[in-house]
Amino acid sequence: MTGFLVQQLVNALTVGAIYALIALGYTMVYGVLRLINFAHSELFTTGAYVGAALYLILGAAGHPALAVLAGLATFCIVGALGVGIEAVAYRPLRRGSRLAPMLSALGVAIVIQNTVMLVAGKRPLHFPSFLPGGFFDVLGAVVTVKQIVVFAVAVLLMTALELLVNRTALGVRVRAVSESIPTAALVGIDPNRTISVIFLIGPGLGAVAGILYASYYGVATFTMGFVVGLKAFTAAILGGIGSIPGAMLGGFLLGLLETFGTGLLPILSGGTVGTEYRDVFAFAALVLVLTFRPAGLLGEQVGEEAMVYKRDF
Amino acid sequence: MTSETQSRIAAARLRWPRPHRGLLLLAVPALAGALAPLLAAYPLRIFDLVLIYAILGMGLNIVIGYAGLLDLGFVAFYAIGAYTYALLASGQFGIHLPFLAVLPIGGALAGFAGVLLGIPVLRLRGDYLAMVTLGFGEIVRILLNNLDILTNGPQGVTRIDPPVLFGFALTSPLHFVYLLLAMATLVFAAAWRLETSALGLAWAAVREDQDAARGCGIDATRAKLFAFGTSATIGGLAGVVFAAMQLFVSPESFTFWESLVVVLVIVVGGLGNLFGVILGATLMMVVPELLRAYEDYRLLLYGLALVIVILLRPEGLLPRRYGPGWLFARLPTRLGAR
Amino acid sequence: MTALAAGVLAAGAAAAPARAQVVIGTAGPTSNAEALFGTTWMNGMELAIRQANDAGGVGGQKLSLQRQDDQGDPKQGTLIAQRFCDDRAVLAVIADFNSGVTIPASDVYNRCGMPQVTNSSNPRITTFGYKNLFRPMANDFMQGGAPAEYALNTMHAKTAAVVHDKQAFGQGVAEVFRTDFTKGGGKVTSFSGVTATDVDFTALLTTIKGENPDLVYFGGTMPGAALFLKQMRELGIKAGFFGADPLFLKDFITNSGEGNAQGAIVSFQSPPYDSSEDLKQFADTYKKAFNADPGPYSAYGYLEAQIIIEAMKRAAKPLARSGIVTEIAKTDMDTLMGHIAFQPNGEVTHPILFLYQVKGDDFHLLK
Repeated sequence: MTGFLVQQLVNALTVGAIYALIALGYTMVYGVLRLINFAHSELFTTGAYVGAALYLILGAAGHPALAVLAGLATFCIVGALGVGIEAVAYRPLRRGSRLAPMLSALGVAIVIQNTVMLVAGKRPLHFPSFLPGGFFDVLGAVVTVKQIVVFAVAVLLMTALELLVNRTALGVRVRAVSESIPTAALVGIDPNRTISVIFLIGPGLGAVAGILYASYYGVATFTMGFVVGLKAFTAAILGGIGSIPGAMLGGFLLGLLETFGTGLLPILSGGTVGTEYRDVFAFAALVLVLTFRPAGLLGEQVGEEAMVYKRDF
Repeated sequence: MTSETQSRIAAARLRWPRPHRGLLLLAVPALAGALAPLLAAYPLRIFDLVLIYAILGMGLNIVIGYAGLLDLGFVAFYAIGAYTYALLASGQFGIHLPFLAVLPIGGALAGFAGVLLGIPVLRLRGDYLAMVTLGFGEIVRILLNNLDILTNGPQGVTRIDPPVLFGFALTSPLHFVYLLLAMATLVFAAAWRLETSALGLAWAAVREDQDAARGCGIDATRAKLFAFGTSATIGGLAGVVFAAMQLFVSPESFTFWESLVVVLVIVVGGLGNLFGVILGATLMMVVPELLRAYEDYRLLLYGLALVIVILLRPEGLLPRRYGPGWLFARLPTRLGAR
Repeated sequence: MTALAAGVLAAGAAAAPARAQVVIGTAGPTSNAEALFGTTWMNGMELAIRQANDAGGVGGQKLSLQRQDDQGDPKQGTLIAQRFCDDRAVLAVIADFNSGVTIPASDVYNRCGMPQVTNSSNPRITTFGYKNLFRPMANDFMQGGAPAEYALNTMHAKTAAVVHDKQAFGQGVAEVFRTDFTKGGGKVTSFSGVTATDVDFTALLTTIKGENPDLVYFGGTMPGAALFLKQMRELGIKAGFFGADPLFLKDFITNSGEGNAQGAIVSFQSPPYDSSEDLKQFADTYKKAFNADPGPYSAYGYLEAQIIIEAMKRAAKPLARSGIVTEIAKTDMDTLMGHIAFQPNGEVTHPILFLYQVKGDDFHLLK
């Protein structure tokens, strides 16, 4: 039994780390623009494909340093793409109804997904492994080096982000703009530049998550972003949208919920409810959290009047 | 002509009832129905699809266009209607209810689901509402996919009975054109009546500023629940006809993508404008068929259309003010009057 | 509204084809993970049609193949079926490839009396009593049964964990395996479903690991099968792996990771291309025509088209769908896969099935 539990724990943490990385992108953008960036899930997919392409171009097979370089380059490229999207499709709509930017994001998401499909084809892509092989036996569970690396890279990036947001001048600007754009402008912060930075970092992290995900499972398809993105968004909501630590917590929490849920549910229900209900956990969690505690675990409980006052909806 | 004859004619004219301008509404589907038999089977199928999406659009329009609530899970109601017919009129359970009996059942079940969805989201606004509705839509699809005993899972329900109306079985696309034209006309009339009713005004108020509306004494809760309920019912009815037409349902027909197509129909065509919805449905179905050589680019074009329309013409191609109200205002209340 | 009417009329005019040729329609997956199967299968048909055209066509008319991509999706399959039915030039179809698509599409084809020759293996397909539906290959009673028999008698396996993807084909073949394995005295430790689009099977595999079965039978398709096997090996499960015909792809071997697929056993309906003179010749002709090696089902595509063409030659002129149906039922010919004749229910009289094992980077015939 210990082996089983430890194994599921390891699986959960790995998958949770990836969700957390993607969730960060959603939460950062939502925090400042109150916009659900539907395109984020597709930037995740794009990251995986761009990463694969760079890997092959650089000939990184067997050269971990080149793999890391490919990863960094992907971060920058997809980050730049994110900045571009913001400038073209979101910035003009910043004033006005809340419906317009969301629909624009949907449109951009569709465009990106189909562009990837047209360029890379509909067949699943055998993904080159950025991650080394090998495994350890821990308490009866098999822990692969891949899982360790995915977890480590994710935690590393999240720590870096935390430091950036809390200890640097740029971080101050990001937090200021997330609080209130007009006030930040009043104090002399250029909201557009800061927002661009947010759209560089968020999608960049998503792209790296894409590479990690595709390396871990060994395959990439142009549709991989949708479900994973939705789950990551749930994770962001779970932890409190707008809160960076919340996104990280939410990611791991969702990974645990999903893995243990699918692992234990068949046992508990005697086989009637099977492992195919995996995705329901994420969506059910989404609906429940939003219904009963929309602020999530670490978000501030904002009352309805305050939401209206701050035009926070 | 003598003056006496003239006055006789004038008096006669006054006695005949003038047709209400609303009857113009019937002229268009009548014309379409008269022209339909001239088309081959394939264009008729497209026409069927246009009508179905127009009906779906008019339903979703109530929630998004009138009440201003972004529902991204509309496909759930469509699915409920379709599966209701599939399960009650096929070999799946051996139940073979007639079409006209299942139609209200499907609509009612869907409407009920709509109200059920509305209750927990009453407090939510904007983005949260969108995400919850999206989640709801996906949950319904996953449940349909996994509750094998009930729905036969991913394999779908086959051998659905064709609908039989008064002893006449509807089997060809032409038959469905007539059924759908009738349905679309009814839905149009119903939606238009709702839009111009007190409830419609309440929706408009809630859309523009929910708190001010509450301040004016409008029961926003009731308005929202009605919006969800009516739109879900319309979606369910469309679903029943869809199942009766395709004679096969599977969870694959009810993905988030379908919800998006209906959203696109409304947004591109004209938000809150019934004519816009029809235009949107036509464009979204006909244009990709004309470009079938570029099938792969279809979704890409949809996405681009959405972004471009939002950026350049956020109200859609036919803005709200050019709706049926605008058209009718230009006509005298009674046609044929001097 | 007039614009709408004009537009639809225009589309109508554009869509009505000139009846200059006899069209055979085909639908299959040509753009998803099974694209290789679908495209090469259709190429096989193309070859037969070209040869027939070179020999003068049928009743003086040339034949043409209309390919449609159904992406393995039953919804697309039924839409394509409706389109083929509406198109009067299409006189026969070779459809579909996936059982999950064929089952609903066959309803549509039956309603319009279209002669349908299918490449799908689920046994249910021939239970509907459709007189227009024919299947010239082995069905899943054999595909599920043969591995069970092999596992019990040759490998002396006692326990098996069975996994399926809840699709018509996967679940069907998994159930047959389970029945046959149990009947032969084996014990099925678990029978679980996964969603066909899943990528993460670790939760289920962890449970299976605890069961310690002698072998795992996977009723499903690509790309899931490769991922499943990969994760299975990564978790340290050493049990034997069995799969069905959709796994007969090089992609399966490469995508499941370095060496993970070694020893996996896959059932398939056609013998290797170098096992008979006829097949070797076919492979050469195919290579010259398409500049590539024939795919797994190319030979079946070829013979399926042949069956239709021969039936068309014998059928009453002018060619009609019903006439072709009658003639296909009377088929009695020698083909690349041996002698083909149909039973009254549409099944073939002498089905063949082979087991292959992965050795190195290719499949090798086992029995």
